[in-house]
Formats: sequence, C-alpha cells, structure tokens
Amino acid sequence: MALGGDARVGEVVESSSTGFVSQSYRLYGAPHLGALVRTGGPCPAYGVVHEVATRGIDPSRRPTARGEGEASEEDVYRSNPQLEHLLRTDFRAVIVGHASEGGTLYHLPPSPPPIYAFVHVCVADELSAFSASTDCLRLLAGSGIAALEEVVAAFLRHAVAAQPDPQAFLAGAGRQLAALIPGDFRTVESILLRAAP
Amino acid sequence: MSLDLHKIAGQIADMAAGLGERRAERDAHLSLALDTLSTAQSDVIEEKRALSRTTFLVAGLRGSLTGRHPSPALPPAYAALAVDGSHIDVDRHLAARCYLINLGTVHIRYGEQPVAELGSEPRLFTDEQDMYLRDPGSGRTQALEGSLLGALRAVEELRTLAALAEQSPDNTPTLALIDGSLILWSLAGQAYQDFVRRALIDDMFLPVMDRLRELARSRPLALAAYVSLPRSADVVNALRLDNRRCPYEAANCDMHCGSLALGQRPCDAIAGVMDRDIFGELLGGGERSDVFATTSSIVERYYGEHEVHFYYLNSGEEIARVEIPAWVADSTELLSLTHAGLIDQCRKGHGYPVAISEAHEQAVVTGGDREEFRVMVEAALGTQRLPVYTSLKDRSKRVKWL
Repeated sequence: MALGGDARVGEVVESSSTGFVSQSYRLYGAPHLGALVRTGGPCPAYGVVHEVATRGIDPSRRPTARGEGEASEEDVYRSNPQLEHLLRTDFRAVIVGHASEGGTLYHLPPSPPPIYAFVHVCVADELSAFSASTDCLRLLAGSGIAALEEVVAAFLRHAVAAQPDPQAFLAGAGRQLAALIPGDFRTVESILLRAAP
Repeated sequence: MSLDLHKIAGQIADMAAGLGERRAERDAHLSLALDTLSTAQSDVIEEKRALSRTTFLVAGLRGSLTGRHPSPALPPAYAALAVDGSHIDVDRHLAARCYLINLGTVHIRYGEQPVAELGSEPRLFTDEQDMYLRDPGSGRTQALEGSLLGALRAVEELRTLAALAEQSPDNTPTLALIDGSLILWSLAGQAYQDFVRRALIDDMFLPVMDRLRELARSRPLALAAYVSLPRSADVVNALRLDNRRCPYEAANCDMHCGSLALGQRPCDAIAGVMDRDIFGELLGGGERSDVFATTSSIVERYYGEHEVHFYYLNSGEEIARVEIPAWVADSTELLSLTHAGLIDQCRKGHGYPVAISEAHEQAVVTGGDREEFRVMVEAALGTQRLPVYTSLKDRSKRVKWL
C-alpha cells in the first residue's frame, strides 16, 4: 500500500511497542478521537488515537482562569497570545498495525516508532486501504485502553466514511467484533449503533 | 544534620510577637506620615532638600506629592517586550572558572493580529577578558563575580532588550520592560574602584541606554523597570524634611542629630514607613502617583541624561514602583504608555506584568539545572583529559559519610 500524503500533525514524544504519544504541532490541532495516524521511522506504525490532552508545558504551572473580563473564549487567547507557547496538545495512539515492504501488517511492528518520528493523519485512500481488512480491529479491540467502545466506534465512523460500501463494511466489522468480543452481543451492537453513518 | 526546626520555632514565635507589638507604633508613624503628606508643600521641601545634607535618600519632587492619575487609554494595538535573566556565578569549587548568564526574552503583540515570541539565550563566559574588568591606566583588575556579576547581568538584560526593540519592525507603541531597578545599586558606595563603575556604566550601560533613547526618537518606545513590593522610602524621606518633622531650615543629619540615638531624631516620628504604605492609602486601582526623581548618588554622578525617575502604581493588586529614564518621564505619550501598558500587563498577569513574568520563566535556572551544568562542565573537562579537581570542602558537602 502506498503511504498517504503529508498531513503531518505532530511528532512522537513517547514510544513503546504497543502505543505512542505525539505532541501536536498546533495547540488543539490533534487528530480527532478514533482517527488513524501513521508514524515515520524505519517501521512506520499505524495507530488509532484514543486520548487527546491539552495542558501546560511546564507541569509546575497550572493554568488559571483568565476570561472573566473577556467576551468569548477566543478573546482569552487573543488577549494572551503567549498561551500558544505555554500550552501543548498531546495525543495518544494505540498501535494497530504497521507498514512493511510487503504491505500493511495488522500486528505490532518489530520496533516502536522512534522519538521525534513525524506523525501523519491517514485520510481517504490510505484510511480506506488500511481498513479494507477487518483485521484492522484486532489489536484495537484487544488493547485494553480506557473508553474502548467509544474509541472503536469513533474509528469505525472515520473508516466507514472512506469505504465505497459502508453497509458491507459495517457488517464485516460487526462479524469481526463479535469474534473479538465473544459473548458480549450488547457491546458489539452498541459499538455498531454509534459507528453507523 | 539539617536545621533543627524545633529549636528555631520558639525564635520565630518571638519574632512574630515583637512584630505584633511594633504594629501599633508603625500604624502611628503611618498616620503621621499621611497627615504630613496632606499638608506638605512639595516646592518648599524641594528647596530645603537642595540645601540639606541627609543620611537618607530623598526623592526629587517634580510635581505634587499627592498627585493621582487615572490610567490613560491603552492604544488599540501595542507590543510588550521583556527581558529577564538568571546566572550561575563563578564557583571557586568548580574545576573551571566560568559563569553563565541565561536571558529570557518575550515579545508579545496585542491587537488585531496578536502574536507572541518567547525564547531564552544562555551564554557561557570563560575568556580571561570576560572574567575581569581591567583598568587600562593602572592595569588593576576586578573579578566579575558576586554582586558585580549581577550588575553585568542587568546591563546584558538591557542590551538584549534594545536588540529586541530594534528587531521590532513597525511603529506599534512598544513597552520595553525589565524586572527590578534601572539603578545599578551594587555599584553605589565605596565597594568598587572608579574604573569598575566606568567600565560597567560608561562603557556598557550608557551606550545601551543611548540606543534605546535613539530608537524612541523614531518610534513610540517606552522603557520601564518594574519593582514589585518596593521597599523604598524616597518619598517618605522627603516628608521627613517637612518643617513639621524637621525643625531646621536646612537639614544636616550628622550635624544636628548625629548624637541622637536611633529613633530619637524629630523625623523618626515617621520612621519605618515605606512609600508603598502611603501610596497604598492614596492611590485607587489603576492610578499612578506623580513622577519623582531619584537622587541616588550613582545616578546623579554617572547617569548623565539618563537620570532615573519613578512613580508608584496601584496595579490593582499591589503598589509597585515603576522606574523610567528622563526621556520617558518628559514625554506625555511615553509616560502614558508605561502607565496604561503596565496596568494591562498586570491585569493579564494576575497582578504582575505578564511579559516580565514569562521572561522570568524563560530565564529561570533551577537548582537541578545548576547541578546538571556542573556535571556537564566536569564531563567536558574529562573528555579533554583535563584535571577535574574540586575543593575538599565541596567534596565533603557532596559526599555524606560517617
């Protein structure tokens, strides 16, 4: 599969075999929950965004309320332009596969993405190609991340929009989830209901 | 063994009790100072000051003692520049003789297109000419360390501020801020020989001030130094010269009162009161006082056209002292820019100018940074196979043993 265009949104700042944390280049510029992202590096990893957090860059400085005299939230940032440099948005992704010379593999890469690897959002063709196989759900469904159902549903919403036959895609995803979460029909149904376009 | 807090607790309690007992006396002094302020005539005091020889620093009075000015309108767009610094002093226990100055810089533009740039520039000084000031006439030298390094850092802050101002490309009203005083207090008195003052003031400080003033001739640029929680009493000391407090036609503290015990001089009836105490009573939120002149000997003798003036500002949270050069004090436009700009900066910074606060954050060198710096220096010396020696005193502090 050809890797997608340069929708670069950040860089890896924490990395492990099963997931990575990226710092967004822009404050509040992280990909949405459930978005598919791909890292650079020798073994480009695919990840699904499962947590987005914005906080002060310096952990010893807690943000304090600034907007009492401002008309809107935008005005708070307009009146305090330095905030763009003092806050940062990070996003955490669980690894759901990786790219190899032979194509996309839906298992963990041999080595985690390096720190400072660029992180791109996968859109259109790349997202469509990655999610063409329902194997893409295997690592995600078994990841044990918080709010798992919400993240799987969000990922499916992104993926279904990139698929030529959304109904067939959802039906296949449902069968795969039923196999991955055996005996929990209600959970699978709940995910599919939230994933439907 | 660390500090025995149990042993010190009783002494702290005694100190607090003593302060409580002196509170009534302090209140009486403040009340009398305010009473003196209400009737004092600044022109009479100023004339007397010119004839007097005092042992305390007296403000030069340019206007009224009780003048109050509401905050003027802030320009719709303005820029705030600030530089603050930290340094690692020469450490004689370190294997290499060097010092480090870290300057934090902030440039914030407000208005239609708000933008901010924050940065820091650490610089290590190791060359022989950086370590000493030298008198070209006699060849005498003075090591740059301790309070003298603090003075050098203050000059470097101003130099960087001037560079920031020069890089600001347009005619946006610009407030250039530093933390603390424009007066290089550590050079006052007899601690240093004259060539030290010439090197730091004539050769370094004044050229930077000239650059800033030159810039201010072609664009609206105001320089201000912000002193939070000032302990100065220049204005209260002017009240000491009021005829109700000092009965002499021209005060001569040593001659008239030199033999009196501390607290027994007539003017000691308002002793202990600070300027911020009286302006805390006088100024409403956002207001500033009239502008006063410092009569510090270091300024009067060495600063020339860059004479330092100051006013007190009720930032809404505290009474601050704002020091400005004469060319700002004499310009209604620039004076107003410092006043309105600082009120806005304090509002945005929870009571303290946000640009200075962020410059400080950029500049700060933590205890951990200092230790890491030391390790890096020793590692670099080791790489060059240079001896990494330290004093036994330092080693005994770092290596705990029984």
